[in-house]
Amino acid sequence: MKGVQYYFERDLKRWIRSKRAVFASLVMPAAWLIFVGLALPIRFTNNYLDFITPGILVMTMLFASLQGGTLLIFDKILGFLNKFLALPVPRESILFGKILFITFRGLLQSTVVLGVAVLLGVKINYFTTIPFTYLVLFIFGILFSGIATTIALLVDDYDSYAAINSMASMPLFFTSSALMPYEVMPHWLRIMASLNPVSYAIDTVRGLFAGTFLLNGITVLIAMALVVLMISVYVFRKATV
Amino acid sequence: MSVKTYELTKYFNKRCAVDHINLEVGNEIFGLLGPNGAGKTTTVLMLTTLLKPSMGEAYVCGFDVLKEAKKVRNVISYVPQDMAVDIKLTGRENVLLFAKLYGVADRKNKVDEVLELMGLSERADDRVNSYSGGMRRRLELAQALVHEPQVLFLDEPTLGLDVSARRKMWEHISSLKKKGVTIFITTHYMDEADKFCDRVAIIDRGKIVAMDSPAKLKNSIGKDVITASVSGEFKGLNIEGITFLGREIDNIKFTAESGSEALPLLSEALSRQGLKVHSLSVREPSLDDVFLQKVGTQEEQGSFDDYKFRTLLRRRK
Repeated sequence: MKGVQYYFERDLKRWIRSKRAVFASLVMPAAWLIFVGLALPIRFTNNYLDFITPGILVMTMLFASLQGGTLLIFDKILGFLNKFLALPVPRESILFGKILFITFRGLLQSTVVLGVAVLLGVKINYFTTIPFTYLVLFIFGILFSGIATTIALLVDDYDSYAAINSMASMPLFFTSSALMPYEVMPHWLRIMASLNPVSYAIDTVRGLFAGTFLLNGITVLIAMALVVLMISVYVFRKATV
Repeated sequence: MSVKTYELTKYFNKRCAVDHINLEVGNEIFGLLGPNGAGKTTTVLMLTTLLKPSMGEAYVCGFDVLKEAKKVRNVISYVPQDMAVDIKLTGRENVLLFAKLYGVADRKNKVDEVLELMGLSERADDRVNSYSGGMRRRLELAQALVHEPQVLFLDEPTLGLDVSARRKMWEHISSLKKKGVTIFITTHYMDEADKFCDRVAIIDRGKIVAMDSPAKLKNSIGKDVITASVSGEFKGLNIEGITFLGREIDNIKFTAESGSEALPLLSEALSRQGLKVHSLSVREPSLDDVFLQKVGTQEEQGSFDDYKFRTLLRRRK
């Protein structure tokens, strides 16, 4: 457990010290919220900002998680991973430290989005909304940073990783329920959106904002996160003897 | 024995990177020498539990690298050739991270101690991106030493360093040995291995072709090495007491028991073959010469390599 903490601290320190990266990663999601929520000429619902906020929150987490895999890729390319693997601490702590840090960074970004949303007039009517939203985002973050680190373990160079990342992130976002309600989707999109794990998170958060607790969504996310973690650990062990 | 291997072998698909090697390393500075791609790093990766051997066994401080991997990791330190230090962290933070990961008891003092030992105390709180290459290397040594390993594996520790940084690096390595640390080094710098290693093994295409102290290896090929700088085609030579060692482009090397006596004989014989002899020199053998002799097979196709080298040069112009 200690190892996880130390690896987490290392990544956190390295991130905080690159000021530009911190600035960009905190501003970008907020910019998305403003552009999509306020500036988009099409409106699918009456109060579109209220509707889009959960979508942007989950999107922030999704992009942050998938982007996070590069941390592991670079540790691998630059020789850090080999140095760490030769240490006596349990090797899996490298993996868990990464997943935790990526998720944590995503939660920080989500916090900015949440703050901007409130400033723009999104109402939070229930005191359970905020903590449960964080819980859902956390589980969702574990799920996708687990996927990201697994991909990072399987590919050998940054370019392949970036290609997979961009191939996955946009389609996942646009085929989810982030931008429009199911009712106005074309038939094919409705099917894709209802299968997309991103939609599970968005619908659950949207439910929380409306005061309902969708146990189903959370259960599915937890189950998927656990499966992904198991696969990730398996791949990690295979990739490192 | 600090390191011991029995028929250690690694296949990558069909290619044999390390071919049934047997090593015994005691408390010493042991150098694994060889050209790029000879299997040095692969060997180290297996000994540091980072790669699974295909065949054979290896023990570090008596622990099996496969079955007792965690115990092995407890007694070793490994510094790969990549110079992997976090440049956004300070030197002290870099070492402290390793102290924590190793679970070092009195970590603050221990970190100070190894930084001092590596001559980094003054710059310890600067970020590593302001460090020179030599300092980064020493920082890696500090990281490796913070838990007092019994065996230290260094993969090409002087790669890319300038002359004074190299000397400093070797001074530190030598002083570690005096403290009782076994040092297992890979390098392709023969002169450094010659000066600082207690024993060396020469590895070529995965096989150990020679293993002994540098002095004994040098003695084994003869007393003197004669280098003849010539132009023309060398057809081989048969003079008693003079042995052909190998060819490096226009330099043909021979060994002889007495260089000064061999010189006139050689000069005459080479001229008789129609070669133009530009210069002849006599010197004591170096590890390079040992290497040339042991890995000599590829040198016999000297003219072929020669041609390739020339086309390469021409392309550069």
